[in-house]
Amino acid sequence: MKTTRKIEDNQATEAPKNEGNQTNLLIRGIAVSGGVGIGQAVVIERITTDISPRRIIKPEEVSSEIERFTNAVGEAADRLKGIKRGINVDHPLSEHRYIFDTQIMLLHDRMFFDATKKAIAAELQNAEWAISDVITKITAAFDTIEDEYLRERARDIYFVGERVLKILMGVRSETKIHQLPPNSIIVSHDLSPADTVQMAKESVIGFAVDMGGKTSHTAIMARSLKIPAVTGLDRMSSLVQTGDTVIVDGSTGVVIVNPDPDTIFRFRERQEVYRKYHQSLLAFGKLPAVTSDGVRTMRITANIELLDEVEIAISHGSEGIGLFRTEYLFLGRRTAPDEEEQYEAYRHVLARHDPNPVTIRTLDVGGDKISYNLNLAHETNPALGLRAIRLCLSRRDLFKTQLRAILRAAVHGYCRLLLPMISCISEIHLAKEVLEEVKDELAAEGKEFRRDVKLGILVEVPSAVTIADMLAREVDFFSIGTNDLIQYALAIDRVNEHVNYLYDTLHPAVLRLIQQVTNVGQAGGVCVSMCGEMAGDPINIPILLGLGLDELSMNALSIPMVKKLIRSVRMDECLDLTHQVFKMQGAQEIRALMEEWIRTRFPRDYFVGHS
Amino acid sequence: MNNEREKLEKALTVRSEQGLHARVATLVVQAMQKFSCDVTVVKDGVEVNARSVLGLLLLAATEGTKIVVRAQGPDSTKAIEEFSRLIEHEDNTQN
Repeated sequence: MKTTRKIEDNQATEAPKNEGNQTNLLIRGIAVSGGVGIGQAVVIERITTDISPRRIIKPEEVSSEIERFTNAVGEAADRLKGIKRGINVDHPLSEHRYIFDTQIMLLHDRMFFDATKKAIAAELQNAEWAISDVITKITAAFDTIEDEYLRERARDIYFVGERVLKILMGVRSETKIHQLPPNSIIVSHDLSPADTVQMAKESVIGFAVDMGGKTSHTAIMARSLKIPAVTGLDRMSSLVQTGDTVIVDGSTGVVIVNPDPDTIFRFRERQEVYRKYHQSLLAFGKLPAVTSDGVRTMRITANIELLDEVEIAISHGSEGIGLFRTEYLFLGRRTAPDEEEQYEAYRHVLARHDPNPVTIRTLDVGGDKISYNLNLAHETNPALGLRAIRLCLSRRDLFKTQLRAILRAAVHGYCRLLLPMISCISEIHLAKEVLEEVKDELAAEGKEFRRDVKLGILVEVPSAVTIADMLAREVDFFSIGTNDLIQYALAIDRVNEHVNYLYDTLHPAVLRLIQQVTNVGQAGGVCVSMCGEMAGDPINIPILLGLGLDELSMNALSIPMVKKLIRSVRMDECLDLTHQVFKMQGAQEIRALMEEWIRTRFPRDYFVGHS
Repeated sequence: MNNEREKLEKALTVRSEQGLHARVATLVVQAMQKFSCDVTVVKDGVEVNARSVLGLLLLAATEGTKIVVRAQGPDSTKAIEEFSRLIEHEDNTQN
């Protein structure tokens, strides 16, 4: 604690250093491990390979330089073995122990070890230089890998090289993480598995890391440790100094540097919400979402993207998958996944949730996102371009492969097929034609598949809302995709910081659009669900109950909270609130009413008004 | 039994959930170190040494990928057997 104090004092007196030190600096990254941590930053510096000393050695130095390198590798291996021995079966990260076997092996991998020795001998580079060059070449090769998980493994060889470099340069190899002040937020450009394993974990309450995604070591380990973490923060670590107060919200992917007292207070409340939510997890996640008067029951499902989210969804009480985004299978690779690969992925999710439904959304990307020789023209406005169902109908081969995989996998559970971005009835007709074609082909080949898979559309284009009555006659269910629907209906690009203040889920136009869809659903006997962030935000729930939605699909982490709210309200109060809301003219007025309602009705449970 | 000069090969499909990932690659290299024959792995015309974790990772053999394992030497039959067991073994690990 003393050190922290001292650094803060320094910052107060040294004006130039405070330039990047503004209050409430908010940085968005990727939410990889849930919860809120509020504490003091401990910035872990990494040495970068490009600052290593470079010199041309004399030919007679070659053998001694190689020996220097070999010794450093031996020392690195000993150190890694020592770290590995320290991880006993009770260690919270014991399941990740193998990472050190991998790293030890990488030290002697011919592509690293032999290549470095060769560079020393042939190029007359000193060991540091040779290592840096070899590592740069290897990581560049990894960069071209399509699969995100495998691409991330470039970090393993990077950390290995860094370890050897540190030994050669006489830099203390292990960062000062064995002893940390309580309430430490680890801030780093990147964290090696060795850093994380050796950390004084009882003192760490959050991770904020520039590099990495959902499958990085930091992400995987933070989830194992149940410590809030945000990754993919770009250059955040360079803006933070040790001792700065930092908030890490690992559920929304937000990091706030030097928050003001007000913000800290609000996030403390939020932290409390998470804490309570974890307590009520088992209690509420497993219960059905039925209103306290027993009048209405909603199905609560989860949105998933990665296969490892399946278990998170189940443990949080999801009653199926309301939105399985299949894009993850397709993105970041040069060729589309074949039928077998897709089949296995869909089968896994379906079987795991059986008998609960799994809604598989067919490929929902723009041509700009996938690179396998589609030969598409450049689009000036991709959001309104050749994407989702439009792309699938123009690239029947892609679409048919996916449909075949889905229909075959459907044998293993309760499958619902969801078509994205439908804007007119002919798109449904065409999609159905393709679907029939696929069924005939599968039947002719004697393949096992489901013929009666439920077909639905994602209602996310305003035109689909206006003709919902016509579309209802064609399909079994509607799923309202609020993220895009709001964007298209209000003409607001959410990621455009100049206009995103106008984006409001409680805009009267948005509520009317939803009402139009639920009215049609009720009249035509079509189930209406909602996926999108709106469905998981407690403030909207009474209105969504009032409008008669049948199912809400959300981020799995929101499920227990939403179920708890539904189980605490009566249908008459929801209808009354909905009635009041529909008489109001502006989003702000509506939001104020709903916030007030939540505050009085659930004074301690929900934290609202933070965004 | 088999001729030492004869190159044996076998076509396989990667079955582990995240492909030929770090854990599997590590196991493969550990296992292959027990044998004295040369072992390589081929995917789409790219051939790597089966005793190199980096080589195996850089193959980017995701789940469902078809690969060929080649071995040449006295214990090549056993090496291929062992290799197939590791690659086609459907594990449930996440990392």
